[in-house]
Amino acid sequence: MRLWRFKGLSMTYFAGIDIGSLTTEVVILDSNADMLSYSINLTGADCNEAVDQALGQALSRAGLSRDQLSFIVATGYGRVTIPFSDKKITEISCHGTSAHHLFPDTETVIDIGGQDSKVIRIDKEGKVLDFTMNDKCAAGTGRFLEVMAGAFRVSLEDFGQLSLKAEREIPISSVCTVFAESEVISLIAQNQAREDIIRGLHSSVVNRIWNMVQTVGVHGAVTMSGGVAKNRGVVVLMEEKLGKPIHIHTEPQIMGALGAALLAKRHFLQEK
Amino acid sequence: MTKTQMTRKDYLLDQKQKGRHIFGVFPAQYPKELLWAMNVVPAEIWDPPVEITAANAHLQPYICSVVRFGLELVLEGKCDFLDGFLFPHTCDSIQNMASVIHDYIGANKPCYFFYHPKNPHGKAAREYYVLELKNLMRSLEKQLGPLNPDALKQRIQQGHKISSLFGEFYDLRAKGELDVGNGEFYEQIRRGEYLFPDDLIPELEGFLARNKGKGEKRLMPVILSGVLPNPPEILTLFDELGVRVSHDDLLIGSRRLLVPPSNLKDPFKQLAESYFSMPPCSTKGAPIVKRREYLLSLIKATGAKGVIFNVVKFCEPEWFDVPNLTDELKKRGTPTLVLDTELNQGLSGQMKTRVEAFVEMIS
Ligand code: SF4
Repeated sequence: MRLWRFKGLSMTYFAGIDIGSLTTEVVILDSNADMLSYSINLTGADCNEAVDQALGQALSRAGLSRDQLSFIVATGYGRVTIPFSDKKITEISCHGTSAHHLFPDTETVIDIGGQDSKVIRIDKEGKVLDFTMNDKCAAGTGRFLEVMAGAFRVSLEDFGQLSLKAEREIPISSVCTVFAESEVISLIAQNQAREDIIRGLHSSVVNRIWNMVQTVGVHGAVTMSGGVAKNRGVVVLMEEKLGKPIHIHTEPQIMGALGAALLAKRHFLQEK
Repeated sequence: MTKTQMTRKDYLLDQKQKGRHIFGVFPAQYPKELLWAMNVVPAEIWDPPVEITAANAHLQPYICSVVRFGLELVLEGKCDFLDGFLFPHTCDSIQNMASVIHDYIGANKPCYFFYHPKNPHGKAAREYYVLELKNLMRSLEKQLGPLNPDALKQRIQQGHKISSLFGEFYDLRAKGELDVGNGEFYEQIRRGEYLFPDDLIPELEGFLARNKGKGEKRLMPVILSGVLPNPPEILTLFDELGVRVSHDDLLIGSRRLLVPPSNLKDPFKQLAESYFSMPPCSTKGAPIVKRREYLLSLIKATGAKGVIFNVVKFCEPEWFDVPNLTDELKKRGTPTLVLDTELNQGLSGQMKTRVEAFVEMIS
């Protein structure tokens, strides 16, 4: 634990680092829990290099150096690989914490990341009450959409928008990413409207997540985190299922790192 | 080499040299005392460390890995030194594996089948159980010679002693007064899967004498449910996270080890009484209400903060019960975690995350 003194005043800064299988995010907070900066980088093959890069970027954007950080929390699948973090906390707790911080009426968090998805139930203080995870296959994750967008040769951003333009939905029967891709290719060959197929693909992801939502139950307001929350196609379909709007932060991808930074602050104060 | 230092295989070969018969026994409930009385060492086959290749040709993809590992062990010829097999009627998968081994592959050694009654456990079920015991005895006698009734009585006494020692294990564990990690606790419990009672009893007594009364009470108590505590890495992870399995509802654990002694005179009726007084179990068709009550009683008795269902993938009897049990426990405010495990595959990063998140949640 480090305490940085500045002109006689105690200044404390906290970092949350979320090392996912696809991207690494860093969030820097000050002692008021105001976000000073963040960064998002590809994780690549070397976790430590990705962390150095992402942390360096976030620190330089905040005008800080590493030794000015009072407490660092690492989260995400790569959390164990960071030797210098003060604490390692799972992404479940981190997403719950950040969702509560940003949208205090949240009681259900849906996080759809690149390689896994989770539904988390939190209480009115942001503490996790229950959760479920899909981490065994790519169905219902960002990776599924990425592969399918690739089959249409469109960007991920356009992919969600195209889904909203569909006149009808062509259901995709395969859950497996590999089989779904072949199914899509044969539908394209049959000259089916691509928007309708894309809508079917989005529905497939949403249905998968919906099963998980039902396991945990829908409680209070719902917040969505993770890169897929930027995809309007998924969000609109999920809102239809829920019958209510979903809270989404302007940068939903950093919510794991934000939660980690908030917990860094909490643990720093507890340990002090 | 002492018994404690011997590997399982060395121990069994040593027993064979001493003139005992070694039987491969598949999960889960069977009358151990009857086998002991006939000079048989039952070596239970749950999760042998073999790589599955040949067994896949005989089994559909949705068959659990207990059966897959068991069949592989047989197909690889690693059971050749055994003198027989016993297949209790635990579930359809074991039943079908018995048929594959006996009818299709040809085990080339005596195979015995033990059909124990499922719920409801009324008078007829008790009578049936006694008949089944006697049928098994008669079949075994053809291979091993007549049963000595005094030997059976003596082995039943040893069975009571073992149950009471295991009872003490669990009591101390519940109170946080056993100075061993989760891994060491279950390693000792699982030695009962193959040690002959003459060796098991002194070993259990020694274990208690060494570790009694010095446990770490502050560790987070949880109940572990499911079939078996595999992969072993999960127990190490619990140790790292400061979690104590304060009691279990495992098929290899409390569900068949904690048997109250019977006062009946007739040894066969005593064995039947033991079977029917075991804690409720999915493989015996126990009503879900009974299973729920049992779990709630364990939570209450040990102050457990949650229940982890560590269930073998594709274990039909268990998976039928899990959704109802988790729902009911959650309704009563007990957090639950469900893990589906493939045996002997270590602990994936994802699985670790689930366990860690659960521990953060209940901390
Ligand atoms: S794990 Fe379940 S399905 Fe497999 S043998 Fe055991 S009881 Fe039967």
